Amino acid sequence: MIQVTNLSKSFDELQAVKNLSFSIKKGEIFGLLGPNGAGKSTTINMMSTILSSDDGAILIDGNDIKKTPTICKTLIGVVPQEISLYDEFTAYENLLFWGELYKIPSKELKNRIATILELIGLSDRKNDLIKTYSGGMKRRINIASAILHNPKVLFMDEPTVGVDPQSRNRIFEIVESLNSQGMTIVYTTHYMEEVERLCNRIAIIDDGKIVAQGTQTELQKESNVKETIEITFQTIASNQVAILKEAFPSLIQNNQSITVACDANKDLSTIISICNTAKLQIEDLKLNKVNLETIFLNLTGKQLRD
Amino acid sequence: MILTIFKKDLKLFFADKKGALLTFALPILLISLFAFAFGGVGGKSTAKPVQLLVVDNDFTKDSKEVLSNLDALKGVKTISEEKTTAIDLVKKGKYVAVLIVEKGFKDSVALGKTLPLELKYDAAREIEMGMLQSVLIQNLMSSVGKKMISSKMEASFDTNFPGTPKNIKEKAMSLMNSDKGGVNSMMGENTMGLQMTSVIKEDTKKGNLGLIQAVAGTAIMMLLFSIAGIGGGLLDEKEAGTLKRLLYSPVKPTDVLFGKMLAALVISILQLTIMFVFSWMVFGLPIFKDITSLVLMIIATAFAVSSFGIFLVSIAKSRQQLQGYSTIIIMLMSAIGGSMIPLFVMPEIMQQIAVISVNYWGIQGFYDIFWRSLPLTEILPKMGVLVAIGLSMTIISVRLFKKNVLKMI
Repeated sequence: MIQVTNLSKSFDELQAVKNLSFSIKKGEIFGLLGPNGAGKSTTINMMSTILSSDDGAILIDGNDIKKTPTICKTLIGVVPQEISLYDEFTAYENLLFWGELYKIPSKELKNRIATILELIGLSDRKNDLIKTYSGGMKRRINIASAILHNPKVLFMDEPTVGVDPQSRNRIFEIVESLNSQGMTIVYTTHYMEEVERLCNRIAIIDDGKIVAQGTQTELQKESNVKETIEITFQTIASNQVAILKEAFPSLIQNNQSITVACDANKDLSTIISICNTAKLQIEDLKLNKVNLETIFLNLTGKQLRD
Repeated sequence: MILTIFKKDLKLFFADKKGALLTFALPILLISLFAFAFGGVGGKSTAKPVQLLVVDNDFTKDSKEVLSNLDALKGVKTISEEKTTAIDLVKKGKYVAVLIVEKGFKDSVALGKTLPLELKYDAAREIEMGMLQSVLIQNLMSSVGKKMISSKMEASFDTNFPGTPKNIKEKAMSLMNSDKGGVNSMMGENTMGLQMTSVIKEDTKKGNLGLIQAVAGTAIMMLLFSIAGIGGGLLDEKEAGTLKRLLYSPVKPTDVLFGKMLAALVISILQLTIMFVFSWMVFGLPIFKDITSLVLMIIATAFAVSSFGIFLVSIAKSRQQLQGYSTIIIMLMSAIGGSMIPLFVMPEIMQQIAVISVNYWGIQGFYDIFWRSLPLTEILPKMGVLVAIGLSMTIISVRLFKKNVLKMI
C-alpha cells in the first residue's frame, strides 16, 4: 500500500530524515516508534503531501505523491498531533466542513457523519460546541474528521497525547475497528505500550534513520536482548558476588543489587538456590521482560522518552 | 473549495457575536464622533459660523448692502466694531479677521475702480481664512460686481463713442445689462467660477463636507483594521493547526487564501453598507443621490481594502507581528490618505503624497459622489485605481502567503 524509498529531508543544516526506506502492506497497522525529534512527524508530513522531500520517492497505492498529489490526498486521511478543529463550531459542523472539502455528496456525507459519530461514541454530543468538549472527546472528533472520506490509509500522528487512560482505550478501540474494516494505519508514537498493543509491524526511528523494522518478535531477535532478573540484597560482599559470577558471568553489580541476563523461566530457580548457598538474604526481586523500550535502548542507547 | 472555505470563514466570523458586533458598532461610534467633531450633522446641527469683524468707514448705502449680504450668509456672522479695537481683537486671536471698508467705497464702485477694502487676518487661522476669503470674494461679486462692471462699460462707451445720443446710449447700456450675453450672464459665469472654492455655499446646497469626511474617512480606516483582524484568522488557523489540516485535504493552498479574501470582501461590503445606511438614517447623508456610483464605489473600496488587509496578514508571521504592522501601516496610511485629517487642510506636498494611500482613493471617490456630484464616468478612474490596488495586493499576497505562511507549517 505504501512504498517509501530512500527518503531524505533537511532543514538548513539539520538533516531530519536520512535515506529512509520501508514498505507498508495493505491492512497493516504500522508503527513508527521513536523519541521526540527522531523524524517521525517530518516523515508523516512528507507522506501526507504537505512537505516535499529533498530526495527519494513515496508511492501510495501505486501513486507517486510528487506526480499525483491530489489523487494521493483523496487516498489518505491524517489525524494530526494537534487538535485541529474549530472551537466555535459544533462537532457536527466541524465534521460537515471537513467532509465538504472532499466533495462528498451531501446526503452521503450526512450518513457517513452519523456512522462515524456512532463509532466514536459521540452521537449524543454532536450539537455541542467543540470548546465544551473534554480533551479525550476532542481527540475522537479529531480522528473522525480524518476518516469522513473513507481513506485507504490513515496516518495517526501521536493521537493519544494528553488524554486520560479511558479515552486512550477508546481511541485504541476506534483504531482497531477501522483496521478491521480494511484501513491501513500508520501510527506514530513514543509510547511503546501503544505500539505493542496495536501494531503488526514496527519501524524504530532514531536521528532520522530507521534502526530496525519488523514484527515485535523479529525486532527482539534482531536486537538480541534478553530478559533480566534484578535482585536487591540486604547486604552483599565481594566473595558472595564471586560465587554468583561463577554461574552467571554477565552479572552486573550495582551497590546492593545485581542484574542477570537470563531466561527467567529456566534460570530463576537456579539463581535463588545459589543465593541461598551464598547466604544472601533477598530483599527484592524484579523480572524485566523484553519489550520495545529495552529493544530501543539496546539499539540506540537512548530511552524512548528522552 | 473556495466557497466552502468562504462559508466556513463567514460562519466563524459571525460565531463570535461580540466580535462581529464590535466590527460594526465601533466604526459607527467613530463616525458619529467625527461627524459631530467636523460639524457634519447635516440638517440637524450646523457648524459654528465664522465670526468676522467689520469696520464701515464709508457708511453709505453700498457699503451697508455689502456688509448686510455678508451677514446673511449661513457660514458667516459679522460683528461691527471700531477699527482700532477690531484690529486689536484680531491680533489677540479673538476673531479670525476684520474687513475694513474704507471711505470712498461707494465712489469706487460707481467708477469701477479698485475697491478700498482691507482684510486683516490672524495668520495662525489660515484654514478659516481660506473659507472666509472665498465667501467674501463671492459675496462682493454678487453685491457690487455688477455695478462696477456696468460703470466700467459706461465709462468705456463714453471714451470710445463720444457724442452718442442719450437714447441710443441708454439702449446700448440696457442691452449690455441684459441676461443674454450681458453683464448678468458674465456675473453668472463669475459666480460659477467662484463656487469652485466656495466650501460653505456648496455645503448648504448638497450636503455636508464634514459629514462626508467623517463617514468616508472613518469607514475606510476602520475597515482596514477590521480586515486585518479577519485576515489574522489565517494566522490563528496556522497556530491552531487547522491550516495544516486544510492542506492535508485536496484544497489548493491558494484556495485557502482566496476563501479568506472572499469572506473579508463580503464583510467589508457589509460593513461599508451598514455605515452608509447609518449615516443616512442618523445624519441625513444622501446615499440615494447616485446609488449606482455608491454601490460600485463600495465594492471597489471593499476589494482594495480587503486585499490590503490580506496583504498585511501575508507579511506577518504571527498575531503579534500582524498587530504591530497593521497598527503602524494603517495609522500611517489613514493619516496620509485623509482619514484622520481632511486632505484639503493639508499642505500641498502632503496632498501629493496622499495618492499612495488606499484611503485617499476611497475618500476621494466618496467625495466625488456626495460632494462634487460627479457622474459615474468621472468616478470610474478612481474605482479603477482601487481595483488595481486590490489586484496588485492580491498577487503580492499570494506570493507572500506561500513564502511566509505555508513554509512555517
